[in-house]
Amino acid sequence: MTRVVEVPAHFDDRSFDQFAKTFGDPTERRLLFDAHATQWASPYGLVGLLAAGQVAAEQGPERPQLTIPADRDVAHYWGRAGFFEHAKEWFEIHGKVPRVAAAHSSDVLLAITPVRGTDDVHSVVETIQERSAAILSGELGLEATATMGFAMALSEACQNIVEHAGTSGWVAVQAYHWRRRLGRRVVVIAVADAGIGFRRSLEATQAGRFGDRWADATALEAALFQGASRFRDPGRGQGLGGIARYVSRWEGKLSVRSGAARIAIVPEWDDSNPLTDGLPAFPGSQVLMIIPAQQAE
Amino acid sequence: MSHIDLKIILQDTVSNGYGDLVTRPTGKAVRGGVEEALAGLDGEQTAIIDFSAVRCLDISCADEIVGKLLLQYGAARLFLLYGVTASHCDSIEQVLERHRLAVVARDRDGKIQVLGPVAEPARRAFGILSDRGPAAPEEVATELAVGPDVARRALEELRTLRLVLQASDRYTAVTA
Repeated sequence: MTRVVEVPAHFDDRSFDQFAKTFGDPTERRLLFDAHATQWASPYGLVGLLAAGQVAAEQGPERPQLTIPADRDVAHYWGRAGFFEHAKEWFEIHGKVPRVAAAHSSDVLLAITPVRGTDDVHSVVETIQERSAAILSGELGLEATATMGFAMALSEACQNIVEHAGTSGWVAVQAYHWRRRLGRRVVVIAVADAGIGFRRSLEATQAGRFGDRWADATALEAALFQGASRFRDPGRGQGLGGIARYVSRWEGKLSVRSGAARIAIVPEWDDSNPLTDGLPAFPGSQVLMIIPAQQAE
Repeated sequence: MSHIDLKIILQDTVSNGYGDLVTRPTGKAVRGGVEEALAGLDGEQTAIIDFSAVRCLDISCADEIVGKLLLQYGAARLFLLYGVTASHCDSIEQVLERHRLAVVARDRDGKIQVLGPVAEPARRAFGILSDRGPAAPEEVATELAVGPDVARRALEELRTLRLVLQASDRYTAVTA
C-alpha cells in the first residue's frame, strides 16, 4: 500500500508545516509525493522536499515515488533550480522530467547544491561571491561589503549540516520579486538536511541544563541565543549567532526549523512568531534566510 | 616584524584553489601553518597576520585562526592583523567578544583600529598613541581631556591586552 503525501500548491516556508503533517511517519508504507498540482515552490520547499525524499528512501519500505508538476513551466523551473538532478537519487520519478540543466540565470544564484563536506562549502562560497555581488549591491541596494557577509552567513549555514546533521544536505539561493508579500526584491537562502536535528545534536552537552524542559524549542533557543554547541570548545556555537547578526543588520529574516519547533529572527515586515512549538515533526533542520532590497531613507 | 600571509598558508596547507577562509577544518589547517611560521620568529617580533589576499572570512575560521592564536600565544607575543576588510572585522569581532580578547588591526586603507571588547577610554587612548606615537599617561590624559588616573587605567588595560608596549613611562601602540 502506498500513502500519498500531497505537496502544497504553493510550497514554501509558510506551507511547509502542512507538508510536514502529511509527511508523518515514512517508515510504514511506501510514500507517493504528489506534486502534480503544485504551482510554485520556493528554494525552501524544494530542498525540504529532497530531505523528505531522503528520509523516505532510507527509512521507508521502498524508494518513494514523486509525481512532478503537471504545469510545464513549473516543472521547468524545478529543473532550472537543479531539483531533478538530485531528486532522482531519492525518488522514483513519475512524469516527464524537463530536459533543462540547472541554470545560471539571474534568479537562480545557486542551483540546489549538495552539502556533504568542507569542499562543498568552499565551492558554494566561491560560487555565491561570483554570482551575488551584482544583485546584492545593484538590485538590493546593500553596501558592497554586504556580499562578503552574505557568503559568511551562507558558509555558516552550510557548515551546520557538515558539523551537526550527521548526514548530507542541500543549499539553494535565489533572487526574486516578492510582489504580494513584501513589494520588494529579495534574496533567499534555503538550507535543509534530513539529519539528527538540533535537539539530538545538542543533547549530550545541553540537555542537563534544561531538565524536563529539554525539547526542540529549547534546543533551538540555546543554539541561536546562547551560542550552545555540542562541542566543549568555547569557540564553538557562534555560527548561528553570526547569521542572525548579519540578517538583522539588513532587516532580513532568519528562520530555523528543527523537529517540532521553529525559531526566527523576525523583521518588521514579517508577522512570524519568534518561537513556535508543537509543529508537525519533520526530520533534520531547515534554515531560511531572506535579505530584502534596502529601502531608501 | 614579520608578515605571515594567510593566502599563501591557505594554499600551502589546504588547497591551491581556495581563496576564502571558510570552515573550521580549513581554519585549523591554516592555524597550523601560522604556528609553524611563528616558531621561526623571534619572540619579540610582532607577528603580522596578513589578510590582504583573503576574500571571505567566516566566523568558524576566524575562531580557529584569530581566536585560538590569541588564546594560545597572545600573552607572549604581539599580534597585528593586516589588510582586513569590514567584513573580516565583523567575523573577528564576534570571536573576540566570545573570548574576551582584543587585537590591533590595520585595514586596507591603512587605518589602525582595535578589535574586540575594549572600554571606550582605552579605545580612544589607543587612537591617540597610534596617531601621534609614543606618549606618557599625562599627555594622553590631556588629549583625552580626562584625569591622569583615567588615562593610566586606560593605558594599563591596553597593555594587559597586549595592544601597546610600555617602556619606562611611555606607551607605544602596536602598529605596522
